[in-house]
Amino acid sequence: MTGLSLLADGLPLFAPIGITLDALSKAALYIVIASGLSLIFGLMGVLNFAHGSLTMLGAYLGGAVMVGLVSAGTGQIARLLLFFVAVAAVFAILTGFGAAIEVTLIRPIYDREPLFQILLTFGLVLVLDEAARIVVELGGLRPQTEWQAAIGTAPDFLANRYDILGASARGLLFFEMLVGLLVVTAIFLFLTRTRYGLYIRAGSEDPEMTQALGIDVRRAFTVVFGVGAGLAGVAGVLLMWDPRFGASVPLGVETLLIAFIVVIIGGLGSFKGTVVAGLLVGLVDALMTWLFINYIDFPGLPELVLFLVLVVVLIARPKGLFGIAEVGGH
Amino acid sequence: MGGVQIGALLDVFLPRTRTMVVVLYVGLFAMSFDFVSGYTGYLSFGHAMFYGIGAYFVALAGTGKIPGLAPDAPFMLMLIGGALVAFLIAVAVGAVSFRLTGVYFAMVTLGFAEVSHVFIRNWDYVGSNPRDGVGVVGREGFAIGIPGIDALQFRLGRLTGDSFDNVLGTGLDLGTVEVSYYAVGAVVLLSYFAMQRIIHSPFGRVMVAIRENEERAKAVGYNTFWYKLGAFGISGFFAGIAGALFTGYRRSVAPENTFDLFVTADALLAAIIGGFGTLAGALYGHLFHEFVRGILSTESHGLARFLRDALPESVLTAGAGDLTVLQFINVFVDGRAELYLGLIFIAFVLFVPRGILGALRDRLGGTVAEKLPERLDRYRR
Repeated sequence: MTGLSLLADGLPLFAPIGITLDALSKAALYIVIASGLSLIFGLMGVLNFAHGSLTMLGAYLGGAVMVGLVSAGTGQIARLLLFFVAVAAVFAILTGFGAAIEVTLIRPIYDREPLFQILLTFGLVLVLDEAARIVVELGGLRPQTEWQAAIGTAPDFLANRYDILGASARGLLFFEMLVGLLVVTAIFLFLTRTRYGLYIRAGSEDPEMTQALGIDVRRAFTVVFGVGAGLAGVAGVLLMWDPRFGASVPLGVETLLIAFIVVIIGGLGSFKGTVVAGLLVGLVDALMTWLFINYIDFPGLPELVLFLVLVVVLIARPKGLFGIAEVGGH
Repeated sequence: MGGVQIGALLDVFLPRTRTMVVVLYVGLFAMSFDFVSGYTGYLSFGHAMFYGIGAYFVALAGTGKIPGLAPDAPFMLMLIGGALVAFLIAVAVGAVSFRLTGVYFAMVTLGFAEVSHVFIRNWDYVGSNPRDGVGVVGREGFAIGIPGIDALQFRLGRLTGDSFDNVLGTGLDLGTVEVSYYAVGAVVLLSYFAMQRIIHSPFGRVMVAIRENEERAKAVGYNTFWYKLGAFGISGFFAGIAGALFTGYRRSVAPENTFDLFVTADALLAAIIGGFGTLAGALYGHLFHEFVRGILSTESHGLARFLRDALPESVLTAGAGDLTVLQFINVFVDGRAELYLGLIFIAFVLFVPRGILGALRDRLGGTVAEKLPERLDRYRR
């Protein structure tokens, strides 16, 4: 497994419909992967380098929960419901973990340059990855190779192929789109209907004024960092049924780069931007994968083009597509 | 522990000479990273690209794949060539990237580096299987020295190279590793002095001014863009030299140990632990890094092996339930350097933000070279 572009096994070859389906399922995955990072980055201006590692932990944890719960006799619908049990469990665990990280490690350095927050979360990557490696090795697994035991827990109707307007696609693609839609809706409601959502929107517009209005920004930071970490975990659980991914330690870096691309293209402080950028990146990835399979003999093509899109967008629009402010200075 | 020899203990803790060669060239890479990021404040998250360009240039030149450069051309020519290519690419990348600041600058440099990473991993011109990189075979080791004077050419290499018995009649023997150490060291030292010179020139003062307050530097009349671009290019040049030394010593390169994000991470770690914005600190930072890695390595001189040999059987098998001391050593000590380095790194970010050398300078009230003689003087009286 290499990089961002994992060939959909059996990418539908009927071009427009097939590419659209592939693009939408990829976009859903990418949006879910990036949404937690986007929330944290939007409110706090902290580029959380550990986001990918949290996704990796979520994939292992979610997979372990599913493998533990599902037996040969478990029914198809029950498996689908248990997936959401795994999502809830992983979200709860990682939200608590994220909040703990914020309180103990990140809170002491808010008054320093943003550089130090990047550096600190970067240190977390080393620790989390190595800790995961220890646990995985203790479990008799090889950390570099994907652990795909959890794929077996997916209900059969997701693995089956369905014909849509002449293209054939796995049920999994639709499931991923559905979960992506659910996550986007949930975050949208969180942002527009809850107190912390209001804080986030206000904080990314004008942090100083928000603080001046007497909002407890500290607690908002803790909550948002926790929720962001929880969402990273949810993304991991979503990946474990996808044969293109599977849990492995390098999954952390892989998803981190995707999340960066999406969040930076979308622009700081804009969840709408993240969704649009996710769709754009999904479409570009699907198109390039299709080009690679049919015409251009260069295996790294989709990954290469995604980074080129990042570079081009940043040069053309330094704040990203929907960015509100340029963060950080330096 | 009664039977433990001091020598065996030192063996565990002191780095080998061949480790020191790595410290030198990776330390130079870390210094080049610190040169631009530590002094101008712009975090270059794609610095591994320039290291990789230098490394691949030498590897391709050594296998006769650079047009106009024969495979048996002097290594110093390849080294300069690789560094110049890295310089040009750095200027091109910088010209685009310096339109951005802060996190966005870090991301766009990371973007460029990942483009080159993906490219080199799939470019079949490099070799039949570009993912595995390229090895320079079928020629003698690369030689560092002054081109044209055979007596001043020293072949280096991880496994082979020149060795000298009874140097100049002093009775000293230099093995192949020692020759590599001094030869690589000479280039690194020269590069360090060059960078140091630039930092203490008016140009370097402007770099620091940009870090401290770019708006003001602009207001005073400096075109900060050209200074940033210049610093980035120079930094790329020295990163290219470091990469070229890497290939010259190891005679093989692979995408994972040149263009990878984690190679940039090594420089970042070294610069932060040694002291951000203290050029020499990066070298000490990487020395510290290799020191920890050496102690925790799985090799025969690692701490794990030492403990297993030194501790009596009764201690090794003691423990609660399934977890014995022996198992603890196997799981948490043997080859776990990254875990502890990560923890140390976080501790440095939290508690010693100025790094080893920066903290030392704060304590002394100036650079070590300036203040140490005074301090020593005080104790002499």
